[in-house]
Amino acid sequence: MIQEIDSVTVGVLRLALDAASLRHQVFAHNIANANTAGFAPLRVNFEEQFDALRSAFDQSRPVERGMLEGLRPAVQQDRSPSGATAKVALDLEVARLAQNTVHYQALLRGVAKHLSILGVAITEGKR
Amino acid sequence: MDYGQAFEISASGMSVEKLRIDVTAVNIANMHSTAAADGTLFRPLRVVSRPGAPTFASQFQESSVYDLRGAQVLGIQELTVAPRMVYEPGNPSADDKGMVALPGVDHVSEMVNLITALRAYEANVVAMNAAKTMAVKALEIGGNP
Repeated sequence: MIQEIDSVTVGVLRLALDAASLRHQVFAHNIANANTAGFAPLRVNFEEQFDALRSAFDQSRPVERGMLEGLRPAVQQDRSPSGATAKVALDLEVARLAQNTVHYQALLRGVAKHLSILGVAITEGKR
Repeated sequence: MDYGQAFEISASGMSVEKLRIDVTAVNIANMHSTAAADGTLFRPLRVVSRPGAPTFASQFQESSVYDLRGAQVLGIQELTVAPRMVYEPGNPSADDKGMVALPGVDHVSEMVNLITALRAYEANVVAMNAAKTMAVKALEIGGNP
């Protein structure tokens, strides 16, 4: 039981931290190229891949470690629905960057909480 | 988190924007420079940048399709603009009609370029500070929550 919780939680958190740090690099790359003519901003596709995991939660099925296989944050070019390449909006990139930083810290808090739960188990609930 | 690369991306962006500001300063400084001894007149300069090219080493690494290497300078381009003719008969470089050719530097676009580059530089600094915050927070894993 604890092994399942452990592997899935840590696995998801690790993937999400990887995605957030990749996303930070993508935002930094977009900002660095803010004045580059003809540059199309890049985006990270990650949360969209979680549909299988989410439906498992909705149907209260157990989440297995195998479900995390094949989940990888992917970098792709930002395209509008019409297919035209977008331009870098500096304010938008900085706002998303700030959001991503907070998200990263929230994920780290999640890791710390998870580890402290294990600590409670190890000390048998005693302080 | 590979924060080294995040810092490198922001640093490349900052150096490109700093060059842009330097070049704008050169353009404004030479606004009233008359032709040199060989007759060439200063021409306004523009920085041309592009996304950073992959390095030799990165070709061998497994990576995604897009290489995140920030920005790099492709070159500095001289603009072909008509010189600004000013009537100054007392100037040593005036022609026989008393007209002096000055570089066709456009104040407005130079100022717009300057402010745009300045803001982009600041955004790069924000990105670098965010990377620092993230890296420092990541060091706190396993500490006291």
